[in-house]
Amino acid sequence: MNTAPHSLRPLGCLKAGLRQARQQRALLCRQMATTTSSTISSSSQTAPDHGFYKITDPKTQRLRSAFAVYSPSAIATSPSALAPLIQPSTSSNPSGALARLIVSPASPDPLPALHQVQIKRMDPTGARTALFAKTRHAARVGDVLMVTHRRGGEPFAGVCISIRRAGIDTAILLRNHMGKVGVEMWYKIYNKNVAGIEIVKRRAKRARRARLTYMRQAKHDMGSVSDIVFAWKKTRKVMTTRGGGGGGQRLVVVLRRRRRRGSRSREMREGVGERRGRGEGGVDGNRLCSCYLFC
Amino acid sequence: MAPRLPARCWRQLQVPSSATTTTTTTTTTSPSSLLLTSSRSPLGTSLSLLPHTTTRGVKYGWSTLSPRARPTRFNQVTSGIPAPSTGPAAALKRRENTTPMRSGVLAIKKGMTAFMGKTGARIPCTVLQLDRVQTIANKTRADNGYFAVQVGLGERRAADKIGAPMLGYFEAKGIEPKRVLAEFHVRDKSGLLPVGVQLMPDWFHIGQWVDVRANSHGKGFAGGMKRHGFKGQGASHGNSLNHRTIGTTGPSQGSGSRVMPGKKMPGRMGNQRVTMQNLPVLMTDNELGIVVVKGCVAGPKGCVVKIQDAVKKPPPPVEFIEKSKGLLRERFPDSEEYLTAARARHLELKEARRQGRIADLLKLDHLVLGEGAEVEEAQEQQPEASA
Repeated sequence: MNTAPHSLRPLGCLKAGLRQARQQRALLCRQMATTTSSTISSSSQTAPDHGFYKITDPKTQRLRSAFAVYSPSAIATSPSALAPLIQPSTSSNPSGALARLIVSPASPDPLPALHQVQIKRMDPTGARTALFAKTRHAARVGDVLMVTHRRGGEPFAGVCISIRRAGIDTAILLRNHMGKVGVEMWYKIYNKNVAGIEIVKRRAKRARRARLTYMRQAKHDMGSVSDIVFAWKKTRKVMTTRGGGGGGQRLVVVLRRRRRRGSRSREMREGVGERRGRGEGGVDGNRLCSCYLFC
Repeated sequence: MAPRLPARCWRQLQVPSSATTTTTTTTTTSPSSLLLTSSRSPLGTSLSLLPHTTTRGVKYGWSTLSPRARPTRFNQVTSGIPAPSTGPAAALKRRENTTPMRSGVLAIKKGMTAFMGKTGARIPCTVLQLDRVQTIANKTRADNGYFAVQVGLGERRAADKIGAPMLGYFEAKGIEPKRVLAEFHVRDKSGLLPVGVQLMPDWFHIGQWVDVRANSHGKGFAGGMKRHGFKGQGASHGNSLNHRTIGTTGPSQGSGSRVMPGKKMPGRMGNQRVTMQNLPVLMTDNELGIVVVKGCVAGPKGCVVKIQDAVKKPPPPVEFIEKSKGLLRERFPDSEEYLTAARARHLELKEARRQGRIADLLKLDHLVLGEGAEVEEAQEQQPEASA
């Protein structure tokens, strides 16, 4: 600090004056800052709603500390929400409080909803769902089912050993014998490659197991279902000829579009028939012949 | 042979002699020695032996660098030396290409299912749910040495015994205490996000690639066959009690009769972080809060996973990034004000805690709002609920 008399340094007073002006400018600035801080305090009056989380001493059960918690549950339980420290009078005015909307998901388990959307897309008619629903008329474990592929090929028939229910991923396990060798095939019922699933034969009595894995044992093995399928086809053909017109009376026909497609699908079906004729000709050729004659 | 003293030591010895001999020719001495001579104490030469300009000591800073490596004006990039290939700046530069441009999110693995295609294709997929994912903080190069976004997931209940430090941390942000916190490194400042905004599944777009990290299923203490795929040993040919053992652990005396470091042996298996790279996003749904990715993700159902833009694939288009950031701004226009208000409130409460007023404060609030009697409280709460 300059303590020399003014007479010695005539410009010293100018310097002091300038310094004072500078300081005042700083003061003015600070005044503006205080006004802004007052707006901050006003914003703290409109501080977001919160509850309190109390920390107590485990031994004495005395309150040691408390913290604001901004979760909706804490706000709902704590009556001390919305109580600013400076002006408690404004605490009864929740309208000015800032809020931040945090959305929690619609359901803690999104899989069922996702499955529903998918199933609706893949099975608009609901036929596939209905076929394996838990109803009286639906297919059940122990029934003999036949799965037709979209891209031709021989339909696969077999006894349904298990139904794995998993929404859009629901699948069935069919077991059959091919040349004395057991063959099992999984089919996803909502897959577009599965053109149709038909119930060939229902089990006489309801199975008392969810999964008939015991049918893999020699004692319980059903063997080949080709005879059953053949007999079923014969009756179907009979009904077809009597009824006149395409299609016939199927127990459950999943994919109707295929039937309406007309000549192409009929060709495919004939093709399938021919192949079977060649393949199983050695085993029961005369029956097959009779079938064709019958038709 | 006498030790060679550095110049700064013997220069001090010279000064008094020169000062005494040539008192008039002070102009030749350096300014520091001039100062010394002017403020010399009557003790004289004994004091002048001590170093007068302190250059060493903790309060002046210290460095373990060699004198040549210490920053001087000659070893800077500005004087023509190439930029260093090590150090924080070089590390950031090196990792630039493998650091995603924007933050990822935390999610919970909900399970696997499948998408059925129109042509009969079946795509196995994993459903990941985003539960109240919020940005908590930003880490910057200046403060932390790298750029990252801290993200939180879910909610911690009061019964979960949250510690005071974390409570204070969340109080200052105005965010509910989170179940999990995680950091996502981002390439630069443009990847940072406003604090407190919620990241929804539309943070990702369908068809983009993501890396998904999670801790795998813990398998416990597993043997060599299970843990590392060792062959095991024969069932017969005289083998006894050593069918699944790992066999030898190394050569004998010629190699030092020791086990090499890193030898694969039985031990704890699983519960390690596994990254599935380049999984395509099949579906996002804000309402359900799910991101569906193709393929599988490590870990059991309910585990916490980190989803971020794939490192080895091109990042999402710039337009999409801008759009998603715009969505954040749109959904949380006053996030800055909220944060400021919450911080101010935090400071007030902090001061109250420091002064021990917090208990009185809670009581006061009860008196103000609750008015003591529970009946009145219930009466008050009822119209609130109806409103």
